[in-house]
Amino acid sequence: MKKVFLAGAMVGLGLLVACQPAAQQAEAPKKAEKKKLSKTEKFRIALSNQDKYQKACSNPTQLVPEGIDIETFKKDMLATVKFPEGGVVGKNIARGEKLFGDPKKGGKSRRGNCYACHCGDPKIIACGNIGPSLRGYGKRGIDPKDTYIRIYNSWAQNPCSVMPRLGYHGVLKPEEIADIVAYMHDPNSPLNK
Amino acid sequence: MKKRAFFVSAVLAGGAVFTAVSLAQQQLPTHLKELLELGMHPGHAFIDEGREMFHKPGPNGKSCATCHGQDGKKLEGAYAKMPRYYKDIDRVADIDTRILACMTKYMGYNAKDKKFKKKFNKWSGPYRVPLATYVASLSNGMKINVQLDDPQEKKLYEYGKKLWYMRVGARDFSCGICHTVLAGKRIRLQGLPDPVKNKLYTHWPAYRFGSDRMWTMEDRVRSCWKAYLLYVKQWHQKKDWVKKPPPYSDWVIALELYMKKAANGATVEVPGLLR
Repeated sequence: MKKVFLAGAMVGLGLLVACQPAAQQAEAPKKAEKKKLSKTEKFRIALSNQDKYQKACSNPTQLVPEGIDIETFKKDMLATVKFPEGGVVGKNIARGEKLFGDPKKGGKSRRGNCYACHCGDPKIIACGNIGPSLRGYGKRGIDPKDTYIRIYNSWAQNPCSVMPRLGYHGVLKPEEIADIVAYMHDPNSPLNK
Repeated sequence: MKKRAFFVSAVLAGGAVFTAVSLAQQQLPTHLKELLELGMHPGHAFIDEGREMFHKPGPNGKSCATCHGQDGKKLEGAYAKMPRYYKDIDRVADIDTRILACMTKYMGYNAKDKKFKKKFNKWSGPYRVPLATYVASLSNGMKINVQLDDPQEKKLYEYGKKLWYMRVGARDFSCGICHTVLAGKRIRLQGLPDPVKNKLYTHWPAYRFGSDRMWTMEDRVRSCWKAYLLYVKQWHQKKDWVKKPPPYSDWVIALELYMKKAANGATVEVPGLLR
């Protein structure tokens, strides 16, 4: 008799637990639509958006993933890379140059901003020394597909690298990255002259 | 002939790079150097302004000097121990937060008054930056000594350490990427310092001639977050962008606590002068 009662109680509890989150989930989106998020709330969400791979790189060494095997890490990251329909080498080289760093604005560009870390066009002196120099990049015999992957998601080749995953986060669209690749591999671009 | 032209151009380009880099490293423009040699510092104007504000009574007739003594006598050395836990407001506070709490709690300013809050937050406002500079300057020549006596301080310090290495946002940045891993390198021509190893907290609040303003550490930390490109759902939607943490929040104070604890033993020299 006792056993039956216990089992009944367990089932009841289980039902309660199962039902509660479902009810909450149904209510939550309605509230979010009505209420505008406060700045504190927005910041908290932005921080909690940290993905599994960022978390693995958030240790004091910063450059070696913790908790995820390096090969799995690379494979997972490679799976996120989306390729554009027209191939990895785009056609609009001028747009690629602008995204790489607009020479008319001293190499500035809001989204690509390559000159912050890399040197490239010899005319642009204000370039950072964090990444390797990209002068003569097109002559090094690098596969454009590798260049594309490196810009789209550098962690696919170099886990926890300092280089931002520009395509992964949607800062650059696949077509835009293809244009940058075209600019970097074009024999007539100032990088390769 | 062609070779020679190439050589000349290479030397020219090299020279240009060299001067640009050395300019960036020298940091101070000549007119400011001359001013400094004459014993004048743009930050001193803020100290004077802060001193005036310190003795000015608030809405209920009390001034900062009423409690803290004429010319802030009782505040000497206070900045060297901040951020720390305060019983009356029940939280760990940095200098900006402490000043806001004092003004609203004891001097009769209304915390819910939007006009006052705006004036207080403002960079060029009469309250926060001058008062912080003045109070910080009272600890000049003393050694930074942040102790984690209270459990809340310990908790916030650990959180600050975690935040320092937390990689997040559309650029996968953390404080540590630029200021620990890449310290000593350049973003364009701007050198990257290591505030933890080199104890750089000593000269904050600092006058930055690039923006022609006095910056408290609160401003500095919050502006750093802009580089993270934080977003709520998707980066390419502008309404999702999150540029800075809210002012006087624990995120900012945790990082300040982490950096200042690392600077223990260094001597306070306020105001600093930076690019």
